[in-house]
Amino acid sequence: MKSLKVLFKIEFLLAIREFSGVLFGIILPVGLMTLLGILYGNKPAFEGADFTLLQQSFAAVITIGICATGLMGIPLTVANYREKKILKRFKVTPTSPATLLLAQFLNNLLFAVTSSFLVWIVAKLFFGYTMKGSVLMFILAYGFVTLAIYSLGMLIASVSGNIKTANLLCTITYFPMFFLSGATVPYEIMPKGLQMVSNVMPLTQGIKLLKAISLDTNYDFSLTGGSLVIPVLVLCLTAIAGIAVSIKTFRWE
Amino acid sequence: MSKQKLLEVNGLTKHYGQHLAVNKLDLEVNKGEIFGLLGPNGAGKSTTIECILGTKHFDSGMVRLLGQDPLVERKSLFNRVGVQFQASHFPDRIKVKEICELTASLYKKDYEWESLLNQFSLTDKKNVMVSELSGGQRQKLSVVLALIHQPEIVFLDELTTGLDPKARREVWKYMKQLKSQGLTIFLTSHYMDEVTHLCDRISIICNGEEVAHGTPDDVIKASGKENLEEAYLYYVGEEEGSHEELEGII
Repeated sequence: MKSLKVLFKIEFLLAIREFSGVLFGIILPVGLMTLLGILYGNKPAFEGADFTLLQQSFAAVITIGICATGLMGIPLTVANYREKKILKRFKVTPTSPATLLLAQFLNNLLFAVTSSFLVWIVAKLFFGYTMKGSVLMFILAYGFVTLAIYSLGMLIASVSGNIKTANLLCTITYFPMFFLSGATVPYEIMPKGLQMVSNVMPLTQGIKLLKAISLDTNYDFSLTGGSLVIPVLVLCLTAIAGIAVSIKTFRWE
Repeated sequence: MSKQKLLEVNGLTKHYGQHLAVNKLDLEVNKGEIFGLLGPNGAGKSTTIECILGTKHFDSGMVRLLGQDPLVERKSLFNRVGVQFQASHFPDRIKVKEICELTASLYKKDYEWESLLNQFSLTDKKNVMVSELSGGQRQKLSVVLALIHQPEIVFLDELTTGLDPKARREVWKYMKQLKSQGLTIFLTSHYMDEVTHLCDRISIICNGEEVAHGTPDDVIKASGKENLEEAYLYYVGEEEGSHEELEGII
């Protein structure tokens, strides 16, 4: 417990110094929410919709922090610590290297939650955002999406033999999800073809789930008859595959 | 009076695939001595250390470190054993005091590390980034980190490789100091002057097998050479060059 506390504190300091997590995980989504608020104002999502464009975008913007920490922060740090034999160094101390991974996880989670919380504050205070659906359900779904994305991040950390591979895998997972899942560019304005591509991504399904819950609507975001079975299924599969592959292939050195 | 054995290795054998890295190696380290494990690159020094510490599994043989099996009693053992691996790396953007605090937190008891930093003349570097330290300072820091929890025995793999002569001398001075405080030291080195200066007993290994052991003087006498460097070259033979390429495979 003592180790975890100190590790958490120092990992936090290192993350602040590193800054890319703060920039991509916190400043960027908060800035984006401000921009969307200014651009959209109180416009309805579409003619006759009972929710605004801003309310529709909220669930997407709130996932940027999860992505930045889960698909960049976690896999890159873990790959770095393994390559530098820092995890191995922990094996010759009474503390398990798993404690270091846990401190990493908690730190990234803190960044993600802070990011989402700030996005919500900005939306609420400056642009009058209110969640139509159940906040509790939303938080549960948020945790579920985080679990799936972090598992995917651990999968990347586990299968990459070195930091270069991890970097490459992170880039080819993160950026398409960042741009095509609806987190930055609204899913609704994408052409059908792109939406099809986007649907393969776990984050897209996560955003659909969060949207449906936050808007408390049966509006057909998933183009599957409004059912949330597909998003939940995709996220479950991502989480299970991520955890299973990580456990099977993870190496400390 | 029988000496207290802190480390006993009997018949240690380890293969990497077809390659025999360590072959039926016997070692003994007594309390309070500086023991040197010598040998050319690829001779099996690091592998031996890792097998002793339990970070690598071995094929056969027995290891007793402080009377315990490192594979079974990792937690209690590493409260009493210090380790510096060859070429230490540190997290990016970490300060000296932070890596000290972090390392100290890994042990059961609370340890004070400021006086150790002071002993190694690193106190004024406390708030400096580890990446800004010179090679010698970083190596000293890695020794500090191996000693933070006041271990009974410490393993130092290639302690002074890459250091300039002045920094090496300085590290030697600390080793002697630590020995006088009762610490047992297990080190590997490529420098025979260092070994002559520091070690009470040595073991020279080649191709994973012991080719000579004893005090530096014993080894020199047995070889009929004039100094340890000559004796070492006599024992490891002319094959030295051919071992270099094995490093890559391992």
